[in-house]
Amino acid sequence: MKQPFKPRTNRKFIGGYRPRIEAYDKASGQVRFADDLTIKSRFPGLLYSKVLRSPYPHARIKSIDVSRAEKLPGVHLILTYEDPELAAFKLTNAGWTDGVDTVSYDRMMWRNYKDRRVLGDRACWFGDEVGAVVAAESDEIAEEALGLIDVEWEVLPFVLDPVEAMKPGAPLVHPEITKNNVMPADEVGGEDVFMVRGDVEAGFAEAEHVMEVASTHHNATHCSLDNWCCVVDWTGDRVLVYSNSYEPDQSRMFMSQMLDLPIHKVAVISSYVGGQFGRADTGDQPFFLCSAVLSKRTGRPVKFRHTRRESFHDTRQPTIYTAKVGARKDGTITSLYFKSIGNSGAYADHTFFALKFAPVEVAEVSFAHIPNIKLESYGVYTNKIPASMMRGVGNSQFNLILNHVVDQLAEELDMDPIELCIKNFGHEWGSMPDKSLQEVLREGAERIEWKKKHHKPAEGPVYGGTRKRGVGFSFHPAWHAEWQELRRGHIPVAIRLNPDCTVILDAPTVEIGTGSNTCNVLGCAEALSFLGIGPEDIHWPHTVDTDTSLKDCVQTDSSVSYLQSEVLAILAGELKKEILKRAEPFLDAKAKELDIEDGRIFIRSSPDRGMTLKDMFFQGDLVPIVVLMSRIPDGTQTGVPYFANFAEVEVDMDTGKVDVLHLVVINDCGTVMFASGAEAQQVGGQVMGLGEVLTEEIIYDEATGIPLNFNLIDYKIPTMADMPEIDPVLLEVWKGVGEYGACGIGEGTLTCTPRAVMNAIHNAVGVRINEIPIKPEKILRALGKI
Amino acid sequence: MPKLPRADGKVSTNQPSTITMTINGRRQEFQMGRDIEPTMTLSYFLREKLGLVGLKVSCDEGACGACTIIMDGRAVLSCMILAVHADGHEIRTIEGLEKDDPVVLSFAEQSEPGYGTALQCGICTPGFVMASRALLDENPTPTMDEVKEALSGNICRCGCYAGIAQAVMHASEKIAGKGGRS
Repeated sequence: MKQPFKPRTNRKFIGGYRPRIEAYDKASGQVRFADDLTIKSRFPGLLYSKVLRSPYPHARIKSIDVSRAEKLPGVHLILTYEDPELAAFKLTNAGWTDGVDTVSYDRMMWRNYKDRRVLGDRACWFGDEVGAVVAAESDEIAEEALGLIDVEWEVLPFVLDPVEAMKPGAPLVHPEITKNNVMPADEVGGEDVFMVRGDVEAGFAEAEHVMEVASTHHNATHCSLDNWCCVVDWTGDRVLVYSNSYEPDQSRMFMSQMLDLPIHKVAVISSYVGGQFGRADTGDQPFFLCSAVLSKRTGRPVKFRHTRRESFHDTRQPTIYTAKVGARKDGTITSLYFKSIGNSGAYADHTFFALKFAPVEVAEVSFAHIPNIKLESYGVYTNKIPASMMRGVGNSQFNLILNHVVDQLAEELDMDPIELCIKNFGHEWGSMPDKSLQEVLREGAERIEWKKKHHKPAEGPVYGGTRKRGVGFSFHPAWHAEWQELRRGHIPVAIRLNPDCTVILDAPTVEIGTGSNTCNVLGCAEALSFLGIGPEDIHWPHTVDTDTSLKDCVQTDSSVSYLQSEVLAILAGELKKEILKRAEPFLDAKAKELDIEDGRIFIRSSPDRGMTLKDMFFQGDLVPIVVLMSRIPDGTQTGVPYFANFAEVEVDMDTGKVDVLHLVVINDCGTVMFASGAEAQQVGGQVMGLGEVLTEEIIYDEATGIPLNFNLIDYKIPTMADMPEIDPVLLEVWKGVGEYGACGIGEGTLTCTPRAVMNAIHNAVGVRINEIPIKPEKILRALGKI
Repeated sequence: MPKLPRADGKVSTNQPSTITMTINGRRQEFQMGRDIEPTMTLSYFLREKLGLVGLKVSCDEGACGACTIIMDGRAVLSCMILAVHADGHEIRTIEGLEKDDPVVLSFAEQSEPGYGTALQCGICTPGFVMASRALLDENPTPTMDEVKEALSGNICRCGCYAGIAQAVMHASEKIAGKGGRS
């Protein structure tokens, strides 16, 4: 049953149900994405670039001959890996940054795994972009030219499975980095055993109940409809990049460092992006550089755009998790050990972020009261599609095992899993039980009718002779609160106040669909309410141009919805001070004697003496008034709140088909910045979540190592007809620091979905299938029917 | 050059040198070779040659619905139609909708509690708007099941299906409020 959210504190704009600020522009098709901004008529002389892709999962180019391709009419330039300029590029990787900070080459996050050449001669997965790049009059000619390039490949043995890859004698994906495909431990990710608290073995020995379980997450992928796209225009000594990178500052840093150009000689311009979801998008894609070199050498702007099939370019890290847990009979967990083997695919990217950083965050927050913890992990190179961030990084994979532990341990101890959660997981820096977790689970249980519907496994009623129903849930700590964003460094925002009291807000961020632009405008309107203005009086420029914009706040960690607003809340006070100071001669009074309310400035001791701000501004040369400040996030450790998903499913015992009947998505947000936007994330995330658990999967031909379904017909994304009823529930229980004390929710709304559905399936039919996606044949096999 | 079928079902014995389309209410003539190549898709032609970039090309193979436009009153995938095949046809793109089109307004306004907005990143939105417009032209008072059926050829990766469905129902109410005229 849908119930509107009720804010803890009533505010004028923050927390309300309303359309997004750019809703009409999007609904009427007027918003321009990178591909729209780079049509040929806007760029006279535009050339189109294509890069050769490997037809083998593992191969080396023995020789390459482009002479036939060069003769094709319309081909302007073909460069190969042997071109001195391309060959001279430094080795790089796909993990310069997770987007939180902007980093130089020497500070790139995964600097021990420089496993990529900008354009190399060795392919590490089917589709790897290697060998040659073409610039031609059209995409079609460029594509045809690729087919005319004669390549002699040395086909190498390949390996797809990480466990196989770890065995002696397995084909080596990056022999220069590792001799057993296991990525070496490094100072960023930590050792293989990357967290130890207490003594887990002693904990198991003392425990009254010990249990071991395993869960495997597969390689779901982002499938944003806005395929990678850029135009690079190298004119004179400057490089202009138009792209749908959501990290323009990082893209600029990447280009500057790799091309050895001063930063001010590179400009990156990004506008609206049609879905991002964390695709390997840290601004460091090789095609930026190849396009730049092609542009420099041809003297023309060069466009590169992936086809949708080529956009199957990176995935979540498929991860095999095992867990061992020791507990007392009353359900108190005393010892927890998690081990993971992550399939990094062809390149390292953020694999260790997913495998190590995400579990550490959960352990620090949620496991604070568990005395014995051991976390161990291995990232393994294989010849599969590379792994990257995807709507979080590692949290979905870890959630799958964590809430497996919860559900099965509760079952074995004959407890309610909700009680088991509240007993064990915290925390508000010391106090137990955790109020946020309690409230999130209580609300979810009520909405899904947990007490009525949760039964012993497989012991519910049978519907229509063959169908059984069950309920399940999964919880996770929120991702992220302000104290977890310290690495961002300074977050700058600026307010420009016009004489008519309208405002230009400089709070740059690339709007990828999250709605944080609306949060910013609402936060700005809230903070400036003394001006008597509303959101409609504020303009938020949607283009980030590194030449003119402040540093962009990258849409990662779901945090932009509040980080800039927190700065704006302070900056509004600075604006007020500045207005009061400039008003002194107009009101013949000192600033400290003045005040502003609802757009009117007056003398506090005699409020009749005053005038509207507009009158004052139009009288003198006072405006625009520009105030700017930047601030490092407040690192006060406030803990984080919780979120959870509850699911009710119906499983057909004859066909193995799973129908999800009802999902409840509960987020404690601290403060709800924009209720309609937050609910859109809660409801919307379930498409990806249900796809991951039931239908979406990259399928490989194991014999050839070739992926078979790099298209949106065979990679099955749920459609409108596939989606169940979803209840979004917004809560404000926890609070962080600052004016709002909000936390991120967007990435996490689907973190819990797969495990909630899996636990519900177990509740319905009594078997556990712990390898997603759960397709009908897996159910039937588990039921012993095939 | 193989014979090209014409929209009116007649078979032309020669390749037509002129292609005529009515685009957003305006009849326009285009020259083969100069404006249109035989292999050019309608989506490419509308975007790159006419600058009608409201429609989006994502999958370019009929799987995502982002390029949906209305041809002769029906929602079609413009990436699956050759520009030459639009000869003699009536084309409506999102640029051809009125500013206050009830579908556009309903998609923009959707913020009803419990369903989320009808759009987030917005890249699929023009396709959904046009598919919804075609549905409501044909059936101004669809049931929720009919909405789901009509819009299940469109993918919204942000997952705004619930908000979109609400928007279509609200658009239907707006149209009914105008006496059935949109």
